[in-house]
Amino acid sequence: MSCAVEVRNLSYTVDGRQILRDISFSAEKGTFLAVIGPNGAGKSTLLKCAGGLVRYSSGHVLIDGCDMVKMRERERARKIAWMHQSGTDLLTFTVRHFAAMSRYPWQHVLSGGADDNCREVNDALVLAGAADFAERRINTLSGGERQRALLAAALAQGTDILFLDEPASFLDYKQQVEMVSLVENINKSGKTIVMVTHDINHALHSAREILAVKNGSVAWHGYADDLLKSSALSDIYETEFKFFEKSEGCRQYAVPLGFVK
Amino acid sequence: MNKKILFLFIISAAVLVCAPFIGAHTLSADVVIGNGGASKILWELRIPRVALGWISGATLALCGLIFQALFRNPLASPDMLGVSMGAAFGAVVYIRMGIAVALFGVIQGISAAAFIGAAAAIAALWSACSIRRGGLSTSSLLLAGVALNFLFGSLNMIIQYGGGYIDTFRMMRWTMGGLQTVGFAYAAASLPALVIIFIIAYAAGPQLDLFVCGEEIAASRGVSAARLRRLLFFSVSLAVGMNVAFCGPIGFVGLMCPHICRYFTDGGHRELAVSSALFGGTFLVVCDVAARTVWMPTELPVGIITSCLGSLFFLWLLVRGER
Repeated sequence: MSCAVEVRNLSYTVDGRQILRDISFSAEKGTFLAVIGPNGAGKSTLLKCAGGLVRYSSGHVLIDGCDMVKMRERERARKIAWMHQSGTDLLTFTVRHFAAMSRYPWQHVLSGGADDNCREVNDALVLAGAADFAERRINTLSGGERQRALLAAALAQGTDILFLDEPASFLDYKQQVEMVSLVENINKSGKTIVMVTHDINHALHSAREILAVKNGSVAWHGYADDLLKSSALSDIYETEFKFFEKSEGCRQYAVPLGFVK
Repeated sequence: MNKKILFLFIISAAVLVCAPFIGAHTLSADVVIGNGGASKILWELRIPRVALGWISGATLALCGLIFQALFRNPLASPDMLGVSMGAAFGAVVYIRMGIAVALFGVIQGISAAAFIGAAAAIAALWSACSIRRGGLSTSSLLLAGVALNFLFGSLNMIIQYGGGYIDTFRMMRWTMGGLQTVGFAYAAASLPALVIIFIIAYAAGPQLDLFVCGEEIAASRGVSAARLRRLLFFSVSLAVGMNVAFCGPIGFVGLMCPHICRYFTDGGHRELAVSSALFGGTFLVVCDVAARTVWMPTELPVGIITSCLGSLFFLWLLVRGER
């Protein structure tokens, strides 16, 4: 199978400080890749470099086999959609209009602008579970609803690849579970997902592959099922974990030992 | 066509038709054709003045709209980056030194000096931001602009302090802004700036909508943030420089008109561009009529009226909105 995202020897230096060094990995089409790692490891920066929002210092990023550097912004935005962490809490657009604005890369520069009722927008609102509050303004939504609005907007962009930055953080447990299953369904519908997360168990539950970043380098990369077979997790986070083994109808998960003792 | 915009358009047209007849001498409709003194007042003073007022009001409102979106700051106004202060510096130097300058034939004297000052401010700002590696981020642009504003402000004060009474009064008077003009030269010269800035604001409407959501969201949707920022910075600065050169710094129009339009319209920046232009132009013409008539026969600088009316109206809107 061909690669949706391929990163080769990527490095990123800013103000003389090397944030990412010599990172290589690839994500096949249709896969679900979770990027984990401690705070300040460079997860979000890696995602931004690979997603074309930050210009990396050296190396290559290939999207569907095309070199990122040679792509124009709109062309890139037709391949990769983003769901950002937040920063939208003050917007007074309706959810529907916000999603429609994501159609920008597909519109002619001088065309009539966002069409709020097009099929892509409606489908995205339904798929992200945001159809019920589509006509409400974003600044009136709860945290969980806002995350779904952001997800709907990313889906409306109509790309095959989706980059998610902490989609389930700051949500209560019910909302987290719902968000996790929404994202899994989107992956099942055929989209490639690259997701940064703090939550190991979210990564273990949803992702097919896991990439662990530590101090700007790849610390571990492999299938999610293999992560707990070694001591990798303890090395990455510099803390001991207790593993709960697979049992009937239940996947493997890990809890920091400090929480269980 | 949108009903609200149609309404604004009708109001604007009505104001444009009536405004030239109101002033120190109220003119009757029959002077439109004729050769008398009244006709001369109408055709050589009043109509050019109304035209200049509408054009510069519309330009300022559009510039304010663009800057507020670009900086994601509701308090952004077109003169915040030091362009107006730079223009004032040019004008002040001109008054003090009495040097003769002319640009492109039509722009002469104090206007030419002011435009050169504005251009100097733009160049200074651009180079200050370009020296730093990583280029022109929105926040560094804003900070550099504020710094430049203070720098030119202090230079202006030095020159004013050292000037004679008459010079200092002329400088002060210039910095209050005014629309006095004879003939259509200034109106004709500032029209291209309005047309260009309107086309840019209209075309960039969807991009500005995304910009308001944050630069990361805009970039992820395929907006070329750096290129857009450069284009908007230069076009707005030049349009403001041109505007200040002809009319002096007229405050509040650029800050307030886009906000007032936001209260009335619900749409994105395309709709806002149309309504801001219509509203800004009409607003400045109305303010200028007030400037000519409230204290007859003395004419007030229009900048005083815009600030006064504008701030009161704005407060009223805020209080009403809180209810």
